[in-house]
Amino acid sequence: MKVLGLDTSSYANAIGVVDDGRVLADFTYEARTDSLQKIVTNIDAVLSETGLALDDIDGFGIGLGPGSWTGIRVGVTVGKMLAYSTGKPACGVTSLEALAYDAREVAETVCTVISAGARDAVYAALFQTGEGGLSRVGDYYVGDVAGLARLGGRGAVYVSAWPPLGEKLAEALGAGPDYKIINGVPRGGTIALLSAARLALGQPDDALALAPLYLKESTARAMQAGIIK
Amino acid sequence: MSNYKIQSSKFDIWTLDFDIRKMLILGIETSCDETAAALVAGGREILSSVVATQLDLHSRYGGVVPEIAARRHAELIGYVIDQAIVSAGRTLGDVEAVAVTARQGLVGCLLVGAAAAKTLSYARRIPLVGIHHIEGHVFANLLSNPTLPVPHVCLTVSGGHTMLLLVEAPCRYRVLGVTLDDAAGEAFDKVAKFLGLGFPGGPAIEKAAREGNGRAFRFPRPLLRAGNLDFSFSGLKTAVINAVRPLMTGGKPLPVADIAASFQEAAVEVLVSKTLRVALETGVKAVSVTGGVSANRRLRQAFTQACQNKGLEAFFPDLSLCTDNGAMVAAAGYARLNRGEVAGLDLDVVPSALMEL
Ligand SMILES: [Zn+2]
Repeated sequence: MKVLGLDTSSYANAIGVVDDGRVLADFTYEARTDSLQKIVTNIDAVLSETGLALDDIDGFGIGLGPGSWTGIRVGVTVGKMLAYSTGKPACGVTSLEALAYDAREVAETVCTVISAGARDAVYAALFQTGEGGLSRVGDYYVGDVAGLARLGGRGAVYVSAWPPLGEKLAEALGAGPDYKIINGVPRGGTIALLSAARLALGQPDDALALAPLYLKESTARAMQAGIIK
Repeated sequence: MSNYKIQSSKFDIWTLDFDIRKMLILGIETSCDETAAALVAGGREILSSVVATQLDLHSRYGGVVPEIAARRHAELIGYVIDQAIVSAGRTLGDVEAVAVTARQGLVGCLLVGAAAAKTLSYARRIPLVGIHHIEGHVFANLLSNPTLPVPHVCLTVSGGHTMLLLVEAPCRYRVLGVTLDDAAGEAFDKVAKFLGLGFPGGPAIEKAAREGNGRAFRFPRPLLRAGNLDFSFSGLKTAVINAVRPLMTGGKPLPVADIAASFQEAAVEVLVSKTLRVALETGVKAVSVTGGVSANRRLRQAFTQACQNKGLEAFFPDLSLCTDNGAMVAAAGYARLNRGEVAGLDLDVVPSALMEL
């Protein structure tokens, strides 16, 4: 089964193609303000590199975020319209899950972190990466970098999807051999692999219903709900 | 990983296998708070027009909240496009081109429509064309009135824009005047909010004004006597608020209907007189009014009357095409494609774009 995966939740955008567990292409490029401009032409370029046509793709993996609100809207919209246009199934995968999957050989518990775009704000989650596959432990974290120390606990391995964030994290955690920080980005190939596994089990998502995972109310909504003043 | 060579797919629409006169175009519009898509045949015949309005989401804020609007577009876009195709009794395979509002609007909102449109263009191998939102409004009038002559003077008035254009030919425009501050519809929204009439302000003011006396208050007519054709509605809004505030302290009920009617008269007079002045100066035979505010009955009546007096014809879109919709985008797309204009898949959105000539 050939699956194309894409992610636009971080400062890097990513497109990958897998075929029965084999990564045929995994292309990551910086796209901080020109996600929309580059995404479709890059999908086309990645496909031509693999010698495949869009019609050869059996399903789509779509990075849902969390991450840049504007960014994920581009990727999710492109992903759902690819599925709609080709009549092929699609799966949504979170950016934090993709980061954790890539770190599965580093540690059994990893804390993945992605920038929320404003100051020190981050989204994060803790994952078990053991034999039973990837599973999230507890709820998503939305907050500042300093609060991550408590989330990861002692001996934690952090995967940061924005290099300056890794530096801030190191500052917040202080000196010590207790932790490890790895830089990474949600990769298209990883999103495709994770989606392919779920598609193989016959568990696609409803493509048109897919929506970005924001984790945070917009400021106006939060004010309305009395969450912030 | 090596760098991929970026290819930009371009279509030569003349080599594609269809008859442009009957061409079936999907129009997509997400520039503000309506998620809209429509199928239009041959640039004229509306087969479907689906508009998912977000009014309920924004009404409590008294205006459109960009992040909330963008989120809603991302949720709805696929359903709205599918519904436009299904309700026209067609399939996706029948769609021969896709037109999308890519210029002027809220950037996060424009992005969603453009991402959907370029993906459809790529995956279905059909031409893509990016449209300026105001050009869409111009075409709403052409869609509703096949006899609308060109050249004519077109006034677009809505919550987002106030623009006076000379439509020299389809796709050829000269900008004559714009608002220097608030859009006309924005002033309606703000005055309605101040009077506690709700959002959107246009219909609320119009309804309240029906019971009121438009001469009860003499509000200023900003820039009416100025030599240029620009508008200013912020001053009018402030004048209304300043005049009303002292009345709120006496404990007597506010003459809301009179205030609404007097405000509406002031706004209408400015719009009508500037538009008519330029129509007479340029020697056109017709005037068209489009955009959300063009649904206002008092505005239509005043325009019709003033045009009659001067021997001009006045045109308005069908009520369903006044506010943002996909049909007007598809119609504009048809005209652009007819001129051989096709966008590349690297199409970008431009939130504040000049009208191209
Ligand atoms: Zn509009």
